[in-house]
Amino acid sequence: MKNDIRLNYPLWMMAFVALIGAFAYGIHSPTMTKTETSLMLEIGGLEGFVLLASLLLYTILLTVFLVKVTKHNKENPKQKLAIWSIRPPEYLEQDEGMTHITRVAVQKVYTFYTWSLPLLAAVVILFPLTRLMIIYGILALAFIQYLIYYLEIRKHFKEETE
Amino acid sequence: MLRNRVKELRARHSYTQSDLGKRVDVTRQTIAFIEKGEFSPSITLALKLAQALQTKVDELFWLEGEDENEK
Repeated sequence: MKNDIRLNYPLWMMAFVALIGAFAYGIHSPTMTKTETSLMLEIGGLEGFVLLASLLLYTILLTVFLVKVTKHNKENPKQKLAIWSIRPPEYLEQDEGMTHITRVAVQKVYTFYTWSLPLLAAVVILFPLTRLMIIYGILALAFIQYLIYYLEIRKHFKEETE
Repeated sequence: MLRNRVKELRARHSYTQSDLGKRVDVTRQTIAFIEKGEFSPSITLALKLAQALQTKVDELFWLEGEDENEK
């Protein structure tokens, strides 16, 4: 179970969120007019390096992740993971015990969002933040969401002995 | 809180958590959650567990505070 990709799925998502954050840093100079929005890439210097490195790392990580999902689906034909499914694949609901553990984790994530989203909205309204900072705020919420979920599920799978 | 003797009776029957899980049609993890008291099973699962462990439900599960020595 500890090597089950559904259990480790939040860790993968946290890595992807972190890389999106790095990618956003690389293209953080937007040019906006009344009729169009464009992005100005600052290739060269730190931003350019971070942009290329994050793109490369993202591609590598995505490839490894897709290989693992394919392997999981071959080994578990009854529990296939659909990458584009609306239902989060990290839900572990084979039976009532697993459903209970999933529900507890989801409740914690929901509780987190009920106060963090309004707080983020208030911060954005009250303070003159740059677009990059707002993006980082959203990515931080996504990162923490997966962290809460992972830690809660992981807690129940400690000391696995028969 | 619900207490139980699942681990004790499982050992008496020499079942692993996987063995017992297969008998009552749940995962090994769910048996582990029940033994650790992290999860209270449904009436259906409690009946299945009692049947698999050849005992009665009230011998297998009881509320905290009841006299455990009588179990």
